[in-house]
Amino acid sequence: MSDDGYAFSGLPVDQIRPGTTILLAGPAHSGARELGLSLLAGPSGEGAIVVTTNRRSRRIAADCEHVGLELTTDSTAILDCVGDEDADVPARVLPVSGPSDLTGIGMRYSDVHREFQRSGIERVRTGLFSLSTLLSFGDLKTVSRFVHTLVGRIDALDGLGVLLIDPAIHDDRAVRTLSQFCSGRIDVREGDDGPELRARGLSGQSRDWASFDPSGQDR
Amino acid sequence: MLLCVDSDAASREATAETLEDAGFTVAEAATIAAARDRVGDDLDALVADQSLPDGTGLELAREIRETVPDTPCFLFTDVSIEEIDTAAFGDIVVEYVPKDAPEARAELLDLVEHAVAFQSQTAYPLPENEEARLAALERYAVEPDALGESFDRLTEIATELFGVDAAAVGLIDAHEQRFLACHGISLEPMDREDTVCTYAILNDDVTVIEDVRADPRFEENEGLQATNIRFYASASLRTPEGDAIGTFCIYDDEPRAFSTREQELLELLGAEAMDQLTLRRDRRETEAADE
Repeated sequence: MSDDGYAFSGLPVDQIRPGTTILLAGPAHSGARELGLSLLAGPSGEGAIVVTTNRRSRRIAADCEHVGLELTTDSTAILDCVGDEDADVPARVLPVSGPSDLTGIGMRYSDVHREFQRSGIERVRTGLFSLSTLLSFGDLKTVSRFVHTLVGRIDALDGLGVLLIDPAIHDDRAVRTLSQFCSGRIDVREGDDGPELRARGLSGQSRDWASFDPSGQDR
Repeated sequence: MLLCVDSDAASREATAETLEDAGFTVAEAATIAAARDRVGDDLDALVADQSLPDGTGLELAREIRETVPDTPCFLFTDVSIEEIDTAAFGDIVVEYVPKDAPEARAELLDLVEHAVAFQSQTAYPLPENEEARLAALERYAVEPDALGESFDRLTEIATELFGVDAAAVGLIDAHEQRFLACHGISLEPMDREDTVCTYAILNDDVTVIEDVRADPRFEENEGLQATNIRFYASASLRTPEGDAIGTFCIYDDEPRAFSTREQELLELLGAEAMDQLTLRRDRRETEAADE
């Protein structure tokens, strides 16, 4: 157990308490996906688990490296619901049968988290890209149970969770329901000078819109 | 009660002992058939091996969720993930702990304790103060029939006032909604994941759903379709301490709008019902203290 919050270098987001899961809501091409991956980049010694529902692991690995999330097989895992295992990805790539197999995602997640802990990695950041795909393959009730279980697990393990959703393509009530499982929410929008974010429900964070660099080049 | 299902007697007993030592009541079963006989409303969680003589742990989890939908389910097994056909059970969502993990039973216990305490496998969000809410509810739900007549009057007034088919007063416990009074509709206790009120008690204000079938939370809800509920509005029954223990709700078989004034009136009816519950509770507690 650690009392230290998860820190984010180069982003206008203050430390976040361990055990927190954030719903990251932003439309496609708004920089939300890049922000989500940037939030997973921690100091060495931390682990990261990326669940990809609609992009192959090779592509998401490239996205990670683009925003400065360094991949290693020791401390990074990609749960790939899209299919083909890409052998040359510098991360542990674990196959899941598809984005409707929420049981499989949950079990794989528990398993790789356990492996990380066994190898001495106690702090793990988890990103899911994205809930929108899960909602297009499953009903809200099932996705709700999955999110509730995952959020509970992240809480129990003092991790950090980031769940991406595109609010533009879902009913507000579905987005609100999923946000109710999370401790807080970060909204992303296209500002006049590039992407902006705003935190809600997270203690100690500014509630104003702040611009950020989605390429992570500030870091 | 926790249900521990494993055909390997030594392993099952060791698991049951770990859970019992932590204060849980544990029922044991070696097969799905035997487990089925033990499933009831008192089930807090299922711990099952994936490989069972008459089926799989995931099959059992699916069956149990049909009867007791909130049940947290755990696969505690030697079967590796690669050997488990999760795709056919993609919507079940369970926790997975391999028996050969270091200190596997201690890990299982941690997960079971967390899931039971926080109800973390439900398919619906819980109010932030759920624990306090349930404690408050216990003080109000003692005599469910005591206020039947006065609530019958209030629900009858509500249907006339708003020109709707039906009105009801219901309390929401850990897993179910139970109705204290219904007018124009007859409602048996409903699983919490199937009632609109589960979502309504998360709101501070009056909840209005003009068309239930157009709401993604309920569009596939067969129970609501069977009762022909299209319009829903409710005011939460909130204790003086602020815990929402139930709802005063109205229904209609046609989608409709609900004005701000109507929302205010529904809130008044909810407040009236809550006052009655509080007076009844205070009287009961005063009498108990006098004895």
